[in-house]
Amino acid sequence: MTTPVTATPEFPALSGRKYFMNFPVTDTSHSLAAYRARGGYQSLQKALTSMQPTDVTKEVSAAGLLGHGGAAFPAGRKWGVIKLNDGEPHYVCMNADEGEPGTFKDRWLLEHVPHLCIEGLILASYAIMGRHAFIYIRGEFDLPYRRLRDAIEEAYDAGLLGRNILGTDYSLDIVLYRGAGSYVCGEASAMLASLEGKKGWPRNRPPRLTVKGLYQRPTVVNNVETLANIPAIVGEGGEAFRKVGLPKSPGTQMISISGHLVRPGVYEVEYGYSWEKFLYEDCGGIPGGRGLKCVIPGGVSTKILDANELKGLTLDHNSALSAGSQIGSGGMIVIAEGTCMVRVARIIQRFYHHESCGQCTPCREGMGWMERILDRIVRGEGHPDDIDRLYHISNANDGTTICSLGDSAGYACSAILDHYRDEFEYFITNGRSMYDGRLTVDDPFADVTATATAGASA
Amino acid sequence: MSENRPEKILEFFIDGHPVTAKDGQTVIQAAREHGFDVPHFCWHPQLSVPGNCRICMVEVESDNGDPWFDIGCNMPVTAGMRVLLNSDTVKKLRKDTMQFITLNHPVDCGICSKSGECTLQDYHYEHNGAASLSRDRKNHATKFYPLSDRIMLDNERCIMCTRCVRFTHEVSKTHALGAVYRGDHSLIRPAEDANFNDDVYSDNVIDICPVGALLSRENIDNSRVWYTEPTASVCPGCERGCNISIWHRRQAWAFKALDPKLNTRIERVTPRENPDVNGPWVCNKARDLAKILERPRAEQPMIAGRVVDRADAIAAAAALLAGAKKVVALVSSWGSNEELAAFQLTIAASLGDRLTAWVKADHQPVPGEVIEDDILIKADKNPNRHGALALFPPLPAEGLTAIPADADVVLVWGEGVPAAALPQGAQVIRLDAWAHADNEVAAVFLPISIQTERAGHYTNFAGVVSDFAACFTPAPLVTHAETLFGMLLSAEVGVRRASA
Repeated sequence: MTTPVTATPEFPALSGRKYFMNFPVTDTSHSLAAYRARGGYQSLQKALTSMQPTDVTKEVSAAGLLGHGGAAFPAGRKWGVIKLNDGEPHYVCMNADEGEPGTFKDRWLLEHVPHLCIEGLILASYAIMGRHAFIYIRGEFDLPYRRLRDAIEEAYDAGLLGRNILGTDYSLDIVLYRGAGSYVCGEASAMLASLEGKKGWPRNRPPRLTVKGLYQRPTVVNNVETLANIPAIVGEGGEAFRKVGLPKSPGTQMISISGHLVRPGVYEVEYGYSWEKFLYEDCGGIPGGRGLKCVIPGGVSTKILDANELKGLTLDHNSALSAGSQIGSGGMIVIAEGTCMVRVARIIQRFYHHESCGQCTPCREGMGWMERILDRIVRGEGHPDDIDRLYHISNANDGTTICSLGDSAGYACSAILDHYRDEFEYFITNGRSMYDGRLTVDDPFADVTATATAGASA
Repeated sequence: MSENRPEKILEFFIDGHPVTAKDGQTVIQAAREHGFDVPHFCWHPQLSVPGNCRICMVEVESDNGDPWFDIGCNMPVTAGMRVLLNSDTVKKLRKDTMQFITLNHPVDCGICSKSGECTLQDYHYEHNGAASLSRDRKNHATKFYPLSDRIMLDNERCIMCTRCVRFTHEVSKTHALGAVYRGDHSLIRPAEDANFNDDVYSDNVIDICPVGALLSRENIDNSRVWYTEPTASVCPGCERGCNISIWHRRQAWAFKALDPKLNTRIERVTPRENPDVNGPWVCNKARDLAKILERPRAEQPMIAGRVVDRADAIAAAAALLAGAKKVVALVSSWGSNEELAAFQLTIAASLGDRLTAWVKADHQPVPGEVIEDDILIKADKNPNRHGALALFPPLPAEGLTAIPADADVVLVWGEGVPAAALPQGAQVIRLDAWAHADNEVAAVFLPISIQTERAGHYTNFAGVVSDFAACFTPAPLVTHAETLFGMLLSAEVGVRRASA
């Protein structure tokens, strides 16, 4: 029951090994038959017939696989925390709630290689001796949801899921859960709260989710791309996997790139690939002959890097860290010269304000405060102390919130301020952008307030 | 197994002072036990830890000189941990948090019913005290949203600590409240499939709300908190005997009240924490104590419906008792332990075999009332049945029909016994506090004081004794039952002389 899609153009000829984008996408390339024809589920066969659960974890640790959800935490270490003989049920939850602005690489995996993701999920569940696994998929992801749903059905029909997988003693059921579309539900603990049927609010740590996660049981939450790497690691061995990419950033990275670019899209690059080559050659550079102003490297939560900071950098975690930023979720946004960064900041902040869950004080109040200040500046009503105030709110959010949404918003705003303070000062002094005129902003919550008021008076 | 394991004690440091904590305690719990104040809004000792408000941030010193900061309400104490509650950074974090919390909170302390006991007000002065840094308008929301027939929510004052939500999830278990919307537009609202009116513990959310967001619709704007004071008391609503505080006008302000009734009015009732009885909660019935205790009172002694002098009424009652061959006493299960003991030591001891004393129920459940639950409410709606039964046997199962037909005097102490149900041939001595037609058909009627006018103790169903104090003065001719029993003995025509 697969859904036909139009075949995509050929993949860009980036150098290096590919784990995901290594087959021609056709109408049926996402099907079980196609996946098996490419060697799919052989790693699962291998693991279930010749490896103990701990062996799988050992291979993942040996591979040095870092999480691809943004935090880049070693996956093997996360799995290794689970005590296999504690008598508790263990859960793996695939985080398919890809909501970071500019990030859409998991979507590609879910649409085109759903069985790879499922195989990775089964292997991860086997490694921690889980009997149930969960996939929390973003509500807005329609095609990925349908593809995944169909793939799970196919897997059940083929004996790859359910009781006695591939004739072995191992059994696993997967629950596919569609989120309602809230950014914070991509945060692992908020996602588990949502899975439990509660409001998607993050939890305080400790305890860690690997100690008390879903239904208060030890739970591993992994990103889609992280789990999609597992079949390759189990299939070819951790040491072989480690030879791809860089020693400290093994493997490849899916990058979704958007913004002022000739060829935006989803790419897979081997860690260590030249950043500038990627931008200017593979992605075609900036359209219209404009210069590169800056790049948001891994989703808007990561600190921006301007054109100078990018020079000589490679696409890997350490390189990004050395420049003061992160690869994050692999959602790269390219911004060309001539773009008003005050408005960029306002757009980003509007997003964070809209998506702040409202649980903890600094984020709940700070996001709206920052947006109101930026709105006012953009309206041409800025005040000289607004820049200090934005820094103040960013700092007050740093490390004081339950999850990292508040931090991220602060980092995003303060990084833009650090780089382009002159643009803010110009806007405040002149009441208009260095690049363009004023902008009228509507109250995005006017309808919400009206609804609440109407409900009260009813 | 774990219950038998000895409790592990950890030593750690708060602001340089060595202190101990039980393994598993959080910093805020341990600090409070040792007298250190950690500000908090969302944390409540009886509720789960959400970590919403972030005002309880503390600093933990580390050996590498790189301190870390986290909320004290969720931070488990570890051995040797060095916690700073008042470092410069902690003070700054608290100040920033207070700036955030007051960002959209209206500064309407002057008209807020919580003013005077508002944590936000206190913390603002203690931890911030500065004017708002914001130049922008505050968010506006529904000012008065009726959460139920009893509770009003001022959305603008709400700081989303979610104590109320957690209360309905974890204590009353009605799951009646939740949070809707996101960010600074979040609101507390009744759950779609629940009715907050069905939560018989709902008024507790008023107490635990740290700001003036949740208000009692009954008491809103009735009195400022500084005009009132609490008196320790016990809820007489059921045999749980929840410990409560009855708030009434301060003596210093009593003479300034334009309406004298204000001086004897129960302004509100709040729980008085007692872990052995009710913890920090009470049900809504306790909140409505005024409806139970502020009914029309009987304030005049009567003989056969005729108002008489108190001494005459007492003498008449004593004469009836002295001359009776068979007396049946229906003992009040609302009487205090002291009153019950006084009855036993005086009347019962004097009448000896001529007396049959049974403990009766003064109150029965009323239609619509929750009879019993597994939280606080007990089926027996009398506060001191346990104490009374320790001295006297219960009324037989057949009820008032068990009163022998040859009983010549029936002494009815308290409510719950209609005159029509008593044997026609017996003379009735009635001791009651409330105005009722039955009082007038009694041979002798003596008005007695109510709980708010006397001090005493009740013994609850589990045998726990709780005390209550007097907060009002009884009317001149109203007598404490405890005193009255002695007066009946010492009356000129007393039972003692008669029995001699």
